[in-house]
Amino acid sequence: MLDVLHSLLFSTLDAAPALIFAALGAVLSERAGVIAVGMEGMMRVGAFCAAVAALTMPTPLAVVMGMLAGAALAGVHGFLSIRWRSDQVVSGIALNLVALAGGTFLLESLYGPNGTPPIQQLTRWNIPGLSSVPVLGALSGHSAPTYLALLLPFAFQGLLTRTPLGLRLRAVGDKPQAVATLGLSVPGLRWGAVLGSGLLAGLGGAVLSTAVLDRFEQHTPAGLGFMALAAMVFGRWTPVGAFLAATFFAFGNALRIGLVSSAPGLVELIPQGVLLALPYLLTLVVLTLQGQRSSAPAALGTPYEQESR
Amino acid sequence: MHRGELLAVVGENGAGKSSLMNVLYGLYQPDAGVLSLDGQPVRFKSPRDAIARGIGMVHQHFMLVPTLSVAENVVLGREPTRNGLLDLERAVQEVSATCARFGFQLEPRARVDTLSVGSQQKVEIVKALHRGAQVLILDEPTAVLTPQESDELARVMRGLVAQGHTVVLISHKLKEVLGVADRIAVMRRGRCVAEVRAADTTAEQLAALMVGDGQRAPAATSTPAVSQAPGEPLLDVRGLQATGDNGRPALRGVDLEVRAGEIVGIAGVDGNGQRELAEVLTGLRPLTSGSGALLGGPLSGLTPAQARTRGVGHIPEDRLHRAVVKALSVEENVALGRHTRPPFAKGPWIDFKGRRERTRELTVAYDVRPPDPEVALRALSGGNQQKVVVARELDARPRLLVVVQPTRGLDVGAVAQVHAKLREARDQGTGVLLVSLDLEEVLALSDRVYVFFEGRVTGHFLRHEFDERELGRRMLGTTEPGHA
Amino acid sequence: MPERVRQMLPSVLSVLLALGVCWALIALTMEPGTATDAYLQMLWGGIGNWPAYLDGAAATVITRPLGESAMKAAILTLTGLSVAVAFKVGLFNIGAQGQMLLGALAAAVVGAQVSLPGVLHVPAALLGAALAGAAWAGIAGLLRIYRGVHEVISTIMLNWVALSLVDNWLVVGPLRGAAEGGQSITGTAEIQATAVLPRLLGEGSRLNLGFPLALVAALAVWVWLTRTRSGFETRAVGLGAEAARAAGIPVARRMGMAMALAGAMAGLAGAVLVLGTEGRYPGTLGAPYGFDGIAIALIGNNHPLGATVSALFFGVLRAGGTRMQLLGVHKSFPELIQGLALLFVAGRMVWLALLRRRNVAPAASAEVPRA
Repeated sequence: MLDVLHSLLFSTLDAAPALIFAALGAVLSERAGVIAVGMEGMMRVGAFCAAVAALTMPTPLAVVMGMLAGAALAGVHGFLSIRWRSDQVVSGIALNLVALAGGTFLLESLYGPNGTPPIQQLTRWNIPGLSSVPVLGALSGHSAPTYLALLLPFAFQGLLTRTPLGLRLRAVGDKPQAVATLGLSVPGLRWGAVLGSGLLAGLGGAVLSTAVLDRFEQHTPAGLGFMALAAMVFGRWTPVGAFLAATFFAFGNALRIGLVSSAPGLVELIPQGVLLALPYLLTLVVLTLQGQRSSAPAALGTPYEQESR
Repeated sequence: MHRGELLAVVGENGAGKSSLMNVLYGLYQPDAGVLSLDGQPVRFKSPRDAIARGIGMVHQHFMLVPTLSVAENVVLGREPTRNGLLDLERAVQEVSATCARFGFQLEPRARVDTLSVGSQQKVEIVKALHRGAQVLILDEPTAVLTPQESDELARVMRGLVAQGHTVVLISHKLKEVLGVADRIAVMRRGRCVAEVRAADTTAEQLAALMVGDGQRAPAATSTPAVSQAPGEPLLDVRGLQATGDNGRPALRGVDLEVRAGEIVGIAGVDGNGQRELAEVLTGLRPLTSGSGALLGGPLSGLTPAQARTRGVGHIPEDRLHRAVVKALSVEENVALGRHTRPPFAKGPWIDFKGRRERTRELTVAYDVRPPDPEVALRALSGGNQQKVVVARELDARPRLLVVVQPTRGLDVGAVAQVHAKLREARDQGTGVLLVSLDLEEVLALSDRVYVFFEGRVTGHFLRHEFDERELGRRMLGTTEPGHA
Repeated sequence: MPERVRQMLPSVLSVLLALGVCWALIALTMEPGTATDAYLQMLWGGIGNWPAYLDGAAATVITRPLGESAMKAAILTLTGLSVAVAFKVGLFNIGAQGQMLLGALAAAVVGAQVSLPGVLHVPAALLGAALAGAAWAGIAGLLRIYRGVHEVISTIMLNWVALSLVDNWLVVGPLRGAAEGGQSITGTAEIQATAVLPRLLGEGSRLNLGFPLALVAALAVWVWLTRTRSGFETRAVGLGAEAARAAGIPVARRMGMAMALAGAMAGLAGAVLVLGTEGRYPGTLGAPYGFDGIAIALIGNNHPLGATVSALFFGVLRAGGTRMQLLGVHKSFPELIQGLALLFVAGRMVWLALLRRRNVAPAASAEVPRA
């Protein structure tokens, strides 16, 4: 029994970071008032660039390249939606389509349909002494992003609630005009948030190809960017909430995979498809019960127009 | 503007008061002219510059983040920190100190969206003072306040002045301006036309300066609007109550009647329930209590569609929001609301020919320029857009026409035309309910006038009883209601 | 009509720019000659190899490619219409993909498990698909109307719910087709012959009834939006909901109806895919035609006929894309062109600023409802 729990926890901690980073990125962007539909595309670009970079450079550096790639795509999003006040959803969807097709095209042209060549995965850290403890031992043996993913949400929550910058970010997502009348730059704050969300999404993608797998595969990230949105909504647009939701979703997934192999009989009763749909169904239920306006940033999706002429 | 005084800037809507103040605060850039502060010319590129020079502004629409606390709102942009972290404790202390110094009662930890409007305004004032504002600009501060809150605000403003601050109060409410200001500047059409000491003037003099004596006088006397004997009652309401957008009662028991073939004016200072009355009568706002008969049906549960079928026409105040869809063409806007009936429809189909012909006729009759039914409405000037609205509503031959601020922002020619059309409709038997903040307009057009104050009727005048002074007193609620 | 031309210009320029950028991409990764050859292949693969035909090749060098293009265009037209119709009422339907999956499933079930005479079977399957799609989209509509849940979020969630439930449960579980000839198959059972969309050109081409169906749907939607009272009401709600309400238009009903119609269009797209090409619901429907619909609609300026033109164009590119593989260019290439074109269309304001015509500049992306 403990073994089962141990392995469940272990695989959750392996799989969750990508989702957690992307969900945090989505929270960052949306709290500043910019809709984050483009997470999937940014993750894909991050995953691809990290995998390609890792062929020629140390993997940790490649992860940084992946993050920068995500931020570059976010830069396009910012250029269109902040600088030119384009519709944020259109811009995000366009980036998703470009990343989807562009990733496939480059992958197939450069490496063929089976993904990039394998790369050196990120080093897994064994925490001495911990690995032998039952259940808790699952904490040991992961790569650096896992530990970062456990700490970052709390740091981010602290940033949002305890620092001047966080206060301004929250304000700019709820009432940008108020921020502007105090002489602060609305575009500046939003640019920062969007680029930050690109870094985080890129990191999430990079983790997929350097820690979870050892290459970029055709379908990466296979909808994780959208699940990150679900985690953000489910976590009521807070970093820790999104973290918990993402972890919960990842745990559910690990449980499902575990059940398929260990208890096929149970899968007959509760079909896999239903379990797969659960994160999204739960998010819909939460939205239905509370209505959306209760926790979404008030100015979400509204381009800010400078008042002065 | 002198240190330590309370200057009021008065003027009608659109006289340029708010634009002037936005320039002072650095939100707009002046096209020409010089701004001087303490004898030195200054140029504010953004609010940041203005704040740095000790200017604070309380906007008409509050610039508060509703989900943040009072203290957070106040310190936003210049947050106290400790080791790089937000020091909320100190923020709370600072805000408490500021509140104490100026005699405000505010709970710094309360979330702003839980506060009353009056308290939110105090937060705005504290926000400005906290930034060291020596000059405080308040833009229409009492528009949203209850009388009690307004009195409180007056005390606050006098207190600030007593402590050496300069307060600029922008308002069109003459009574309160007289009560609180030292000096009064009157603006009209983008110019400052007079500057007087409050002690040396009266509301009547100010009003005359605001509207510009000479040019308005003829409007009031021209074409005496005497109607024939009023016809059947179209609208009869008793004890009407309704809630405003802010959740507070806007109508607190209104009795009124409109008959066929008369123009009934509603006079009152902005925000005393006139707008809500118009919305209730057109089915846009539910009534909370009271009874009424509207064109042979009950008033409660009225939908906009029912109102239209019964024969209610509506010329709303907020044209772009309520009356027209500016991305649609002129002819489509002419059809809007009547698009299910001939000549605009044939069964489930749009009757393009009928619609085109009718629009052509109307653009000619109402002198809409350009007279092109296909052009998008947004390509028309404001005056021509309003002509389209008036044309559409009158063309439907409404039995009752609800009109709100029909000439706001229009040029003189368009105003005269709209007025003529309203009289014409009245003479053809339409009952017209005219809501306007422009008393001159109400008096010029109406056969009867109800005066509104705080959601109640405080006066009822027949045409031969019109007396501006008496009306003005009723509008300010200074006499007991019950004249009618 | 200069106004109409000005409306179209950003889309046309965006597509041209995307074509140019992608050409440069091949030219850089391979060589310029290859890029030009690849584009030619894509063209011949899409509209038929006319030079070969004129040199005396069989007519099938024309009809086959055209048939492939038409099939792709039909599906893209329908999903594009789905997005465009929702836009007209002011809603952003990201959910065409999920609505399409359910439509495809419904068509597969009706096609395989209901026995009807030929004249009725196809219409019944189409109707089932349309209803399934409409119901799925209707959920998002109702959530928006009654709970204020933004349709962008709800349709994204509904997409994944549909994908999980259909592909990972229904198709591999309760609705899985019986094994045939000792071999178990993936997906639902083969549809009956009576439910197959008839081919229009016999064996010379896979062109089937789906193509005229999509064109008729586009025409019908256009007629409805521009010629009927309820279509007018729908547009008025999308362009000014409050003014529409004041004019007595039932705003909530128009929103709900438009969303249902959007879902029905996406459902039909699924039906055309199943009844025309696949013959059953395969293990996974794969191609994200529903997401493509967003690009198709926006490039087509959210106009039903504009979307059709853009679907025809990209249908040709898609069909021709397979031919590019002969030159080592992956067949996903047209999708990249499409994605970039949408990205450039999203920069509509940039185009307008570049074209700098005073009376075009205002109205920040008026064709897109505020999220």
